Amino acid sequence: MTAPRHAPEPQRSRTVPEARRESATVPPVVDQIAGVAQVQTVRGIAEARELAPKDLEIRLQADASSRLPVLVCYSAAAVWLIVGSLFGELASLKLHWPDLLTREGWLTFGRIRTAHLNAVNYGWGSLAMIGTSLWLMPRLVHAELRRPRLAAMGAVLWNIGLLLGVGGILVGVSDGMEWLEMSRWFADPWLVVGGGMIGVALFSTVAARKAEHLYVSVWYIMSAFLWFPMLFILGNWPTWSGVESGAVNWLFAHNVLGFWLTAVSVGVAYYFIPKVLGRPIYSYQLSILGFWTFAFFYALNGMHHLVGGPLPTWMITTSVTASVLMFIPVVATAINLHMTVVGRFGALRYSPTLRFVVLGAMGYTAVSLQGSFTALREVNRITHFTHWTIAHSHVGVYGFVTFIMFGAMYYVVPRLVGHEWPSAALIRWHFGLVVAGIAIYVVALTWAGVAQGLALLDPGLPFQASVERTRYGLMGRSLGGLLMTAGHVVFAWHFWLMLRGRQPAGARPPFHEARPILYTEAAADVVATSRSHAGSAP
Amino acid sequence: MTRVWLLLGGAFAALSFAIVLLVLVPRAMLTRVEAPPWLEPYTASELQGREVYIANGCVYCHSQQVRDPAFTSDVERGWGSRATVPADYVYDRPNLLGTSRTGPDLINVGQRLPDPNWQLIHLYDPRALNAWSIMPGFPFLFEEKAPDAVRPGDRVVVIPGPRAPRGRVVVAKPEALALTNYLLSLKRNGAVPASAMARERMAGPLAGGMNGHDDGARPAP
Amino acid sequence: MIPSSLAVILATLALGVFALSAFIVAWWRGHFRNLDAQARVIFEPRDLRFARPWETPAQRREREATYGALLPGRRGEWGGAA
Repeated sequence: MTAPRHAPEPQRSRTVPEARRESATVPPVVDQIAGVAQVQTVRGIAEARELAPKDLEIRLQADASSRLPVLVCYSAAAVWLIVGSLFGELASLKLHWPDLLTREGWLTFGRIRTAHLNAVNYGWGSLAMIGTSLWLMPRLVHAELRRPRLAAMGAVLWNIGLLLGVGGILVGVSDGMEWLEMSRWFADPWLVVGGGMIGVALFSTVAARKAEHLYVSVWYIMSAFLWFPMLFILGNWPTWSGVESGAVNWLFAHNVLGFWLTAVSVGVAYYFIPKVLGRPIYSYQLSILGFWTFAFFYALNGMHHLVGGPLPTWMITTSVTASVLMFIPVVATAINLHMTVVGRFGALRYSPTLRFVVLGAMGYTAVSLQGSFTALREVNRITHFTHWTIAHSHVGVYGFVTFIMFGAMYYVVPRLVGHEWPSAALIRWHFGLVVAGIAIYVVALTWAGVAQGLALLDPGLPFQASVERTRYGLMGRSLGGLLMTAGHVVFAWHFWLMLRGRQPAGARPPFHEARPILYTEAAADVVATSRSHAGSAP
Repeated sequence: MTRVWLLLGGAFAALSFAIVLLVLVPRAMLTRVEAPPWLEPYTASELQGREVYIANGCVYCHSQQVRDPAFTSDVERGWGSRATVPADYVYDRPNLLGTSRTGPDLINVGQRLPDPNWQLIHLYDPRALNAWSIMPGFPFLFEEKAPDAVRPGDRVVVIPGPRAPRGRVVVAKPEALALTNYLLSLKRNGAVPASAMARERMAGPLAGGMNGHDDGARPAP
Repeated sequence: MIPSSLAVILATLALGVFALSAFIVAWWRGHFRNLDAQARVIFEPRDLRFARPWETPAQRREREATYGALLPGRRGEWGGAA
């Protein structure tokens, strides 16, 4: 059962109303979106002719409008993923092979590690999230993305800022505070302006919305796009000093984790899990509770990075309390998402999106419960200052945020380029490598952290003991990181194939999602048959 | 659009509350913190060294804070004679409190390891002094000259043991000297006078470490 | 120190009052009515009617009962199943 494959037809930019006025065969809207017309009529879809095509049209328009900026963001994100992974792997190797590449300043651990953090957080993570938000918001509000070219330009500026920031770090220019190292003078302004342009596009899309309700994902994403600029400007303000700068530092860093990375990722999970499964979220009430408790408790968590530190104890206690209170939104979200999936875990065999997003959501629950636990003083006195913290942060930024972004990209990219992912094998390799990688990473590094922490607590043991006991854990982490990096290379290569127009061999999609991926076919049929059923109700 | 404004208003309020509580309120209280009389501002060379410390990411392996001895064993381990307090950090912009102890805490390293020669050798090659160390060396902060190229003003660093470069003389660059000066300036064991806003005085009813009692600042031995 | 605790308590109360009044306003304006419709805004009707290969017969019947006659997956979709 092979379909005849046609050469891509030239792109024509036409509005959908114009397209409607044209006559029969394959509507130009199909060309406009995908550039490829596939002619495989489908009896099943034809039978659905009583459904209103306008819903599908809204969706097609939404996807078409966001195509340029989303592909810009995703392409850049994939590049930063590779760059960031290489930096990370090198930094990891240096911790058990300290004489590796020490001759040059730009390769020293302290700069490579910092470049890794900024590249993966502001590069991969942020750009993947921005791209996903730009695609998702039009879908959620049933309106085309406003000012897509402005958003694309914003993404370009963001990347210029990143290049300057990360490059600056490598040559030794750092603002000094963790998560805020990119120069506030020559790098950060690009992110502020670029991010602002993206924000304008996003918020004006919401303002032009046609959907009557605001779905929960909209709350998370819009709030994130409000919170992040507030935090970024606050954190980079040049006047902080003394212990106050420590408080600002960790208010910023923890809220970038919570109010930027987590917020968008949770919003994305709330969309894809119900969407692919074809079931509404289990309890909308719970999602309302979850969002508002999240907003009010998460913001106060920051000082748990400074337990025992030279700050007023009441500040630390506030953060510890807020960290424990995070149980409420985290459990609410976990229940909501779990009860939506329960009984349907078989779907993970069919949909790579669900595989990654469901695992990512579990990662969210895991990292948050671990975080609440780690904030307690009794636990913190063992884990603070150790590799445990790094393992914990990777459960979050990788096992949660990155996995959700992988899932999102597996869903979104076919709808932008008009054809399916060419290789099921590459998807399986990607999934296997990164899951094995993060599992080894977290186990090895957590074990190293606990060993280190217990050794540090014992004043009878020399400092040397805490270093020696981590050696094998650090080597294990490098192994995990190697697998993760390999997985990223596979993913980036596959993404490149998609952009190049590589189609799956054979008509059958190599994996199967709940919607016909090749909506062009659906569009062809449904829009073509809509003429004989004008005004049909949904 | 009421929904949107309600949402954004609520989100704004949530973050603003945290900023007020964890930044602005402490700021108002911390402006009363003064440097103790024994604490000098950093000299120009020490500040330059602090920039070298920041540029090379030392903060990612080394902390600069001593925790309450009732809470944990930092003091017993010899990293300070008392817990550090906000007054110790008034000249630090930005903070280098750190969140990782891949290497030892450094807030009192100037007191613990006051020999500049030790510091220079250690910066050039930590494993020349501690075989177990995983700290990277910073040879790019030094020059390796031919013996006859050494000039009178050069600060020569003699590397002990088998890891010394053969046939070359190690000379410290100004960056290495500045960094050493900065490290040697790190001493915070002095007494914290009652007038300084010591940590326990801001602590309120939730003061102290795990045991619930408050040890306060201790004077230097 | 009483002043710091007082600041914390007052700030929390102020914010709590604001949050409560915002909630009440939202309730009176009907934002919490019809939550089911809000949960379904991400779907088109056809989405909910596709038969999915991972669903058990009972789940399939439930879907049919809730959303109407099921649409078959196309041949080539779902690995040939369903």
